[in-house]
Amino acid sequence: MSEPYLHPGPTSFWFRYFFSTDHKVIARQFLWSGLSFLLLGGLLAMMIRWQWAYPGQRVPLLGLILGGDGAITPSSYTGLFTMHGLIMVFWAITPLLIGAIGNFCIPLLIGARDMAFPRLNMYSFWTFALSAALVVAAFFAELGPATAGWTTYPPLSTMVGAPSAGQTLMVAALFIVGASTIMGGINYIVTVIRFRAPGMTYMRMPLTVWGLWLTSILNVLFVPILGSAGLLLLLDRLAGTKFFIAGAMVGRAAGDPLLFQHLFWIFGHPEVYILILPAWGVIGDLLSFFARKPAYWYRGTVGAMAAVTIVSGLVYGHHMYVAGISPMLGLGFEILTLAISFPAVVLFVNWLHTVWQGSNRFAVPMLFALGTVFVFGIGGLTGLFLGTISTDVYLHDTIWVVGHFHLTMAAATFLGGLAAIYFWFPKMFGREMDPTLGKLHFWGTIVLLTAVFVAMHVAGYAGQSRRLYDPFQYGFLRHLAPLNRWTSFAAFALGAFQLPFMFNFIKSAFAGKKAGANPWQVGTLEWTHAPSPPPHYNYQAIPTVLRGPHEFSDPAILQALGKDWVGQAEELPSASEAKVAAGA
Amino acid sequence: MQRLMRTATLAAGAVMLLPRASGADGPGEAKVGLPLDVSTEGHRIDALLHQTLVLVGLLFLGMLAWMAYALFRHRQGHSARFERGEGAAGKALPLGMAAFVFLVVDGNLFVKSSRDIDHVFWNFSAVESRPDALRIEVNARQWAWDFRYPGPDGRFDSPDDVITLNELKVPAGRPVVLQIGSTDVIHSFNLPNLRVKVDALPGSISRAWFQATRNGQFELACAQHCGTHHYKMRGLVTVLPEAEFQSWLAEAQAHSLRAFDELDESARWGWSWKDHRP
Repeated sequence: MSEPYLHPGPTSFWFRYFFSTDHKVIARQFLWSGLSFLLLGGLLAMMIRWQWAYPGQRVPLLGLILGGDGAITPSSYTGLFTMHGLIMVFWAITPLLIGAIGNFCIPLLIGARDMAFPRLNMYSFWTFALSAALVVAAFFAELGPATAGWTTYPPLSTMVGAPSAGQTLMVAALFIVGASTIMGGINYIVTVIRFRAPGMTYMRMPLTVWGLWLTSILNVLFVPILGSAGLLLLLDRLAGTKFFIAGAMVGRAAGDPLLFQHLFWIFGHPEVYILILPAWGVIGDLLSFFARKPAYWYRGTVGAMAAVTIVSGLVYGHHMYVAGISPMLGLGFEILTLAISFPAVVLFVNWLHTVWQGSNRFAVPMLFALGTVFVFGIGGLTGLFLGTISTDVYLHDTIWVVGHFHLTMAAATFLGGLAAIYFWFPKMFGREMDPTLGKLHFWGTIVLLTAVFVAMHVAGYAGQSRRLYDPFQYGFLRHLAPLNRWTSFAAFALGAFQLPFMFNFIKSAFAGKKAGANPWQVGTLEWTHAPSPPPHYNYQAIPTVLRGPHEFSDPAILQALGKDWVGQAEELPSASEAKVAAGA
Repeated sequence: MQRLMRTATLAAGAVMLLPRASGADGPGEAKVGLPLDVSTEGHRIDALLHQTLVLVGLLFLGMLAWMAYALFRHRQGHSARFERGEGAAGKALPLGMAAFVFLVVDGNLFVKSSRDIDHVFWNFSAVESRPDALRIEVNARQWAWDFRYPGPDGRFDSPDDVITLNELKVPAGRPVVLQIGSTDVIHSFNLPNLRVKVDALPGSISRAWFQATRNGQFELACAQHCGTHHYKMRGLVTVLPEAEFQSWLAEAQAHSLRAFDELDESARWGWSWKDHRP
């Protein structure tokens, strides 16, 4: 790499913190935005849980913003769960795992000085910011926010069922956030292909990079489909087209509401993996780092992640088992869906085998990584019931489904994202987070997350449908009121346990203890070849990579260097080099 | 040691999961199990749910035991074993476990569900061929259910049809075949006690069938978010003895022509029955 890349970073305030093209600054922009929306989405979740505990009763504290007497009305309830779902998926998890972790990690972990297209990267964030502004505006829009559910099924999401300006704003916001995601995705893909440091072969990349890279490929392939569905829906809402409107009310020359479901789920199922793949990658690395053992069967893990990526586009029909699918097509989707369990089990056993016979250190990132494995395990298993037609017919649209996708898509991605935040925080901010508060945060979160979402499975198994303003209108659900109330108490406590994290995060970012270059004693490039935080262009000299990212507890290394780890680009004393090469 | 652990895992799995699985069958006593099943075929779904619960429960306990053992016994003081798991022996466990889950747990699900779907739940031509099958049309709309029985002429979508609102009356012991549509947004026709669920879509006709085994009143719910009052889109299914059902139907049919209102456009949602018999 030639030196002209190394011009100094921007010095003016605006270009340093707002219109920066530095991937590390953009990562922090996504991080703060994502955390803010996580807080907003979390507060909406608290209000939904309040409604299920005390239907129609005045909401304490948060009731003030509802207006009226402070109770949730049936129509504001539909706004709550719709906005909660959309915000969490597109404006909280996506920016945290892909925007923040992706931006920060990809160039650093592969030994690059920045993204392939730094300016496109900046545009990606500001496009995201524009969509975020529309989301906020939707709350103040005429007739309220979006109300058609996060799945936005027409005709309910057309003017027929959701005439509010907020619904229009949210469909537009989805389109724009999709554009932002595609810009980021193209950038990540090209960066990984073209900007890996010398010697950083694909099979020497940290699993985190693998997860983010596969996610980007899925994003670029499938987000455009969501975008086209959103655009057609926007035309139906604003221009009087009838792509998705059918039925008696519009006469015979009409569209097909099922077309939207196909488009939505062709995107929507890969989206589940788009969100979880970065977390899978992160925990694959962290389990190895903190077990002080090589990641078990690294190539198998990579292969399993790639297999899931490929199959993820072929299973979406399982979301439509009760929409009148033909039996043959349904069973085809069923076998493909169940087939995903094969690579998923390989991943799982590899993770468990990585900590087996390890020298496990329970630092906060490790705890969160183990928590991710735990909740993803439960969520993955409960998915089998939904991949199968006859059991799905009973469970479809119950809160079993909600519990399942929250464990996989929310709890697992949230814990995986937190593992990443706790792990890379010292590199990102140059300061350490408080481990005691981190452990408090972990134990409260893991216990309560599991309790809340497992309890939702139990209620769903008993038949409780999702998205009911007052589930206890139904006699056969009335006995579930106490279970729902206890689940809500657990959810409120879960919300409260995020306070130590917020305090810890903000305080440590500005006033935490200064972090060393490599506090975790691991060998990936960002820890071995860059200070904390790294300078504007990351690496003064691009390191030459010699080995994989998980070289722990190799007896030959231990003898040669006197430590249980070795950097990916660390040169060994010449005498021991032959020995290590022979042993490897 | 490992054998002991496996036995303990199995035992714990059985203790934890079986009471819930079997307790679900008793009416009234079940707190969190499946709702009472009053259909001839629902037991197929329930059995598959229970079997899969036990199997995934065992997998979960296996995972938990493995994690717990590793994390309690292989801590900082324990020296890490340097292994990459790249050899044939190393790959045997992940691949073997994956094959086991795919063939046993998934295989059980796939074989049984495809049998039940093909031969029972979605085998409409067989049910419609039965001479005692009762045909009913259902219209879903915000936020109510309309039901249509053919009048004395035996045809649907004619002025003598019997139409009810939020009340589905059916006889016990006969198959009931439903064709379901919607006149506004998407709804979902959900009979939890009969293990029936299918979407009601504007612009197309969905099908469902069931056969009730006992008399009584059961709830009909909308399972798909359909707007502000989705939660109030509740109907009742009344299962009657054959004779009682016949007398109700005869009486309703006698009144049906009188109840027909030519000007009431909203009542004209019916269609001529889509026949699927071979």
